[in-house]
Amino acid sequence: MIATIKAEWRKSRFRPAFLVATGIIAGITILIYLLSWYLALHPSAAGERAANILTLYPDQFVNFVMGAAFPVGAAVAIVVGALFAGGEFGWGTLKTMFTQRPGRLTVWAGRMVVFAAWMLILTVVLFGVGAAASVMVAAFQGYAIAWPAAIDLLKGVGAIWLIFGVNGAIGLALGVAIRQPAAALGIGLTYVLAVEIIAVRFINLINDGAYKWVTELFVNQNATALTQSFTSPAFGRSVAPAISAEHAVLVVAAWGIGLVVVAAGLLRLRDVT
Amino acid sequence: MENITIVETHGLTKRFGSGVLAVDSIAMSVRRGEVYGFLGPNGAGKTTTLRMLVGLIRPTSGTATVAGHTPGDPKGLATIGSLIESPGFYPYLSGRENLRVVADLASVSQKRVEEVLDMVELSTRAGRKFGTYSTGMKQRLGVAAALLKDPDLLILDEPTNGLDPQGMAEMRKLIKDIGQGDRTVLLSSHLLGEVEQICDRVGVISNGKLVKQSTVQELLGEEGVLVRAQPIEQAQELLTKMFGADAISRQDGALHLKTKPTNSVEINRHLVNAGIGVSELRPFERSLEEVFFQLTGEKQGS
Repeated sequence: MIATIKAEWRKSRFRPAFLVATGIIAGITILIYLLSWYLALHPSAAGERAANILTLYPDQFVNFVMGAAFPVGAAVAIVVGALFAGGEFGWGTLKTMFTQRPGRLTVWAGRMVVFAAWMLILTVVLFGVGAAASVMVAAFQGYAIAWPAAIDLLKGVGAIWLIFGVNGAIGLALGVAIRQPAAALGIGLTYVLAVEIIAVRFINLINDGAYKWVTELFVNQNATALTQSFTSPAFGRSVAPAISAEHAVLVVAAWGIGLVVVAAGLLRLRDVT
Repeated sequence: MENITIVETHGLTKRFGSGVLAVDSIAMSVRRGEVYGFLGPNGAGKTTTLRMLVGLIRPTSGTATVAGHTPGDPKGLATIGSLIESPGFYPYLSGRENLRVVADLASVSQKRVEEVLDMVELSTRAGRKFGTYSTGMKQRLGVAAALLKDPDLLILDEPTNGLDPQGMAEMRKLIKDIGQGDRTVLLSSHLLGEVEQICDRVGVISNGKLVKQSTVQELLGEEGVLVRAQPIEQAQELLTKMFGADAISRQDGALHLKTKPTNSVEINRHLVNAGIGVSELRPFERSLEEVFFQLTGEKQGS
């Protein structure tokens, strides 16, 4: 297992998909901070502000980042997962991995450890860049720098890691099932950005929402609810999410584990041609 | 050479989901320490068989034992080096980094990476990204990866693919050197000359069936002598008296004699003394190509 983790880290640390994804996450976080800052300082003709400057300061950066990271971060995670799993088929490297010493499941387990580490790196970059951007805004605005409680920061990091992880797992499972990255990331993105949203709307309309409970099992309904649980009065009035944070964590984690196990089963049983 | 088998299959069969019968009840045995050539035309089932031997695909029926284990067993894989079809490496990593990844997976010392790069003469170009390699360099890197574990059994699927003539000659020499001693090499190829030069024994596969398994010498058959003489009827009559009717046949205006080439002097003397003109007298051996086409039912030059 250690050997497979070493090998996986050696090949993944310079993998363009991860490096580009890290850059995209950092770039988008900075962009959202800059746009929100601009909107906060430039009210509309009616005097309404599209963003509250208070949400951009360091004491609110965890809550702000939660909203900013989703769904762009989820989409990036799907792309990275699809490339991570599907790329091995295209390059023919799966046969190289499976003909060395470790068994197939050991190889997959090692890969999952490194993939989870990369999802954590993306999360830490997101929060790090968010913190730096919030400090920059506070410094320019002459606002005193105060940080959120460590437990809130840890909860935030944990929640985003979980959300990136489950969306990455969608990409992984599709990459393994389809055995190539392009179609996997296409299907994954279509699901997250369209199919699930449309399905939830339709299901909620059936018999006046009699089957709403079904939508509460959908992966990104729960991911959204989890991000919405991070809020404060600075963000204005908000409707309490229909799904509790605890429920969301359980459902998202179950999806993540389930998808990784299904992918492992496919790798274990299928021929490598 | 010991007579212990390192690869043994019984009724090994693979039928793909599409219904294609790629390998049909193959019973092959590879002995420890030999260089075994797995010979067959493109699409005959060579690669599918080798994939089954390393556990990449599961047989539909039949059994295989490779290095004392079932194919794909981690204990068995630890003693097998393989290059199946085209080499599979990461295009964004250098050749050296790719080998380091494989070395990590195989739990092999990183020092070994430099040794195998030297063996395939790729050390000076190992820092370049794999994606920029020529086909020949990729093939060398694939062989280097197969050698990393210093394996007891080396399985190479058409290792000279994509190499230029000099590269092919160097690869053959390398494989011959690797095959010295106790190490076993199982080599698939559709290049007859390659197999003839390198291998101790061969298995010929055609349409998924193993149609012949023997030493190269056995496959080529008995040695003989080819005679061209005039008048040929008189020469045939004389040689029939000398060696018997069973030992002589006439093909393409020449007589083929099943006898040792050392008898050529005596044959020449008898023909000349009988007033028969001899225009050609030489040792005759069936080429592997002829045998191959005969066994596989393929037409020469088709």
